[in-house]
Amino acid sequence: MVTIPKPTQGDALWRSAAGETADNPLGHVAPLLAAAREEFVRQAVQGRGDRAALARYTDQTDRLVRQIFGAAQDLTDTPLIVCAIGGYGRRALCLHSDLDLLIVFQGAIAAPEERAASALLQPLWDLRLAIGHHVRELSEFDRLEMGNPEFVLALLDARLVAGDDRLFAVLLERVRDATAHHVERLDVLLSLVSQRHVRFNDTLYQLEPDVKDAPGALRDISAIRMMRSIAADTFDGTVQFDESRLDRAEDLFIRIRSVLHAQSGRNMNVLKHELQERAAEALGYQGSHAGKRVEALMADYFRHARAVTRSLASSRRMIAPAVAQIERRRIGKSLDVAADGVRFADSRATPMPELWIEAFRVALANGCAVSEVALASIEQNIGRYAVDDFVSTEDSRQQLLKLLSPRAGLYARLSEMHECGLLGCLFPEFEKVHSRVIRDFYHRYTVDEHTLLAIRTIESLRSSPSSERQRFSGLLDEIVAPQLLILALLYHDVGKWRDEEHVSESVRLAQPMFDRFQMSDEGRRVVEFLIANHLEMSRVAFHRDSEDPQVVARFAAVVGNTDLLKMLCLLTLADIEAVSPEALTPWKEELLWRLYVDTYNQLTRGYADDRVEKHQAGLAVLLAGRPEEISTEELSRFISGLPRRYLALYGLASIYRHVRLSRDIHPNEVHASLEKHGDVWELSVVTLDKPYLFSNVCGLLSYFGMNIHRGQAITTPDGLVLDVFEFSDDEKFLAQNVGASTEIHRLLQAVVAQSVNVPTLLRGKQQSVIYRHRRMLDTIVHLDNQHSQRFTVLEIVADDALGLLYRISRTVSHQGCNVELALISTEGTKAVDVLHVTKGGRKLSSTEQFALKEALERTLEGAHEAD
Amino acid sequence: MKLIKSIVRPNKLDDVCEALERLNVSGVTVTDVRGHGRQKGHTTVYRGREYSVNLLPKVQLEVVVSDHLVDEIIRAIIETARTGEIGDGRVFVLPVDYGYNIRTGERDA
Repeated sequence: MVTIPKPTQGDALWRSAAGETADNPLGHVAPLLAAAREEFVRQAVQGRGDRAALARYTDQTDRLVRQIFGAAQDLTDTPLIVCAIGGYGRRALCLHSDLDLLIVFQGAIAAPEERAASALLQPLWDLRLAIGHHVRELSEFDRLEMGNPEFVLALLDARLVAGDDRLFAVLLERVRDATAHHVERLDVLLSLVSQRHVRFNDTLYQLEPDVKDAPGALRDISAIRMMRSIAADTFDGTVQFDESRLDRAEDLFIRIRSVLHAQSGRNMNVLKHELQERAAEALGYQGSHAGKRVEALMADYFRHARAVTRSLASSRRMIAPAVAQIERRRIGKSLDVAADGVRFADSRATPMPELWIEAFRVALANGCAVSEVALASIEQNIGRYAVDDFVSTEDSRQQLLKLLSPRAGLYARLSEMHECGLLGCLFPEFEKVHSRVIRDFYHRYTVDEHTLLAIRTIESLRSSPSSERQRFSGLLDEIVAPQLLILALLYHDVGKWRDEEHVSESVRLAQPMFDRFQMSDEGRRVVEFLIANHLEMSRVAFHRDSEDPQVVARFAAVVGNTDLLKMLCLLTLADIEAVSPEALTPWKEELLWRLYVDTYNQLTRGYADDRVEKHQAGLAVLLAGRPEEISTEELSRFISGLPRRYLALYGLASIYRHVRLSRDIHPNEVHASLEKHGDVWELSVVTLDKPYLFSNVCGLLSYFGMNIHRGQAITTPDGLVLDVFEFSDDEKFLAQNVGASTEIHRLLQAVVAQSVNVPTLLRGKQQSVIYRHRRMLDTIVHLDNQHSQRFTVLEIVADDALGLLYRISRTVSHQGCNVELALISTEGTKAVDVLHVTKGGRKLSSTEQFALKEALERTLEGAHEAD
Repeated sequence: MKLIKSIVRPNKLDDVCEALERLNVSGVTVTDVRGHGRQKGHTTVYRGREYSVNLLPKVQLEVVVSDHLVDEIIRAIIETARTGEIGDGRVFVLPVDYGYNIRTGERDA
């Protein structure tokens, strides 16, 4: 290997290249180059800088090299050749592309050979060509430099430009021998492709794409062809492959690139906003104004880049060693999992739409793709179906929503659905932002891709969270219906199909989707809130003084409850990260997290401080919507004294139900309703306060084997108690016993009337279930007198266990404390309970706090304090 | 010429930038930073566990201006970034020997 130094401007040759002397050695070649370039520019600006133009320019460059070669050859007796490698080797030289040359000497390189190489290269430098040169002895090709992967791959395109063709034949043979193990070559190729894609955040949907290097662009086309050439036997007839698709894509990209080179006067391959108009005009795109022409160009660009990306993905799957081992296996009656992904078992039959959804479900479950063949089949037939064909039954609607659950592969599968047209068919509102380009200073991707990348961020929190992201990942695990978060993300920017303010338009466009999916009021409320407020958390975190408690309190009032807060926090994180790789800095991430923590604390610890007032926001809606049998007075009486967030927490139907339950309540009476929502039961209890009430109700649920997941327990200043518990029927008591519901009501009444003693009731279960000990995380008991004006806030984080809440609340009662309010949640295997307690109607003193903390820690350690 | 380096609350960034624009300050460099001065940070509790928050998020703005504009610009920064609470930030003024325009290679007057 020899290094030929590039001349400086002071060198004699440089001066001669400028044509200053009569015996200018470049005098005969410079006009040749100038003419070739002039011709290229003329073709390029007319949109005709295609493969043929590149080939012509390559040929003229070859001629130029050959002319210089003649003089250089005379300086050495050692036979030498000059080869074009890389893009130049493929005869795809663009106007300002690097000229990749390989100079090979048959023998050792000494001073005469170095002079010969210099004599070849320096005139080219003097012509201001960008040269990528490699000077080698033939013997160096006995073993290839695998540490220089670009060079190894460039050699595969080697083409003789000047010199002895027998020497070139020997060279080719040695290269072939050295790279005989095609697995090695493929590894090199795949690794280079992956590294390159990472620079573009692994997405082709760049608003300013690099037509050479970006995913789906020219280098990927070369990579696909190389893969197919290196591993020809793997591809032999097994995968449908449309070479003409690659040709069409390549033709467009080359013509765009030619315009970029011609217009910028340099090796510029990024289709920047300002060059998009010129490229669109040169390539003859139609439109009433420049913006429309650019839209047409970019839509075409993305369409072709998608085709390339799909071909590349399909080719990669075929040569991936792990996948190549997979034997085709049948899933159900109609689907196969093969090496290239999920296929329809009968490739000739036109599959039904429900099978399409099933194919993606199977792909997600098996961690594989949907095969190119299946995608092509869907793409071909998608026009025959409308969205209603996919959501006609409750089961199909639920299947679709379940498909959106964040997990590994979701982004890739949604992208496949998007590319074959299925996603747009299922969510026609999302189709409105297909390849939508919005030019601003920050966004780097099209609107649809921005959305899918945001979903990718959520997916990564579940599948491979980095250590810095563990805290956000924990939030995702705690969300009850994460598919609603994904649905909200899918719709958060659909309003950008038009140029005006997009948030309200996104909310508007979500309404038909809610109707189609026949979503519950609660589901609608969640998704609509997230879409309508998707900019709110970043606005407060980055543009307001989030250290100011009032700012946090106002934000908490907007959010209303911790579930929505967690979802909004994750949506905000994902939305910012999907803007560009630089958008979400650690600094912003920290600000976002701090706002989350402060708001969470505000929502849980300050929960009971704000009471519903006369002119409370939301009250008017509640009053206006009340059923006739509930009077304004009755409603107002019930609401007054409840925490303000009660209104944000429950829908209208739930509130009216609570009002009915509160009617004519007397001491020792309980009014309750038990309802099933999906897999979860909800018990609403209204009664009048008394000692041990909360722990007794919890104990009763434990007695029936109910696992309490979430709940609220509220006591008004008048002593009215409203407890709402969500629980699962782990022991199938409700499922398997006809009179189970009546029995629960009967015992509930008896417990409240104190005619049944809960500890006695539980005695039989105590050792087996209630005190089952399975410690996984450190128990935290924290007491705080600062956050709430009237209560001591007790926060407990512990391993969830059946009966845990009973034990906690009973210990609190044993200590003479009253539970005024309880916020109960279970997050995975972790119970997070926040109780607002008083003793004798006031906050606990330090001594009382200490005693309660000790007692609770003993209880949670399993010392049976609660007995 | 002077380099005016100010460290302000993140939410005051837009206000300060607008104030600088009104004074025809042509260039500003903004950096997200973390640190503390007298506002030493605090302890926060999340789910019963205490965390110390020692370094607080701030924004640093840097502008290079002619000597005769320094006082006016400092006044504008202080007026717009002030809340009156601890943690409002700091302004530093440093001498600048030369400045060059990279595109043209010209030295600033």
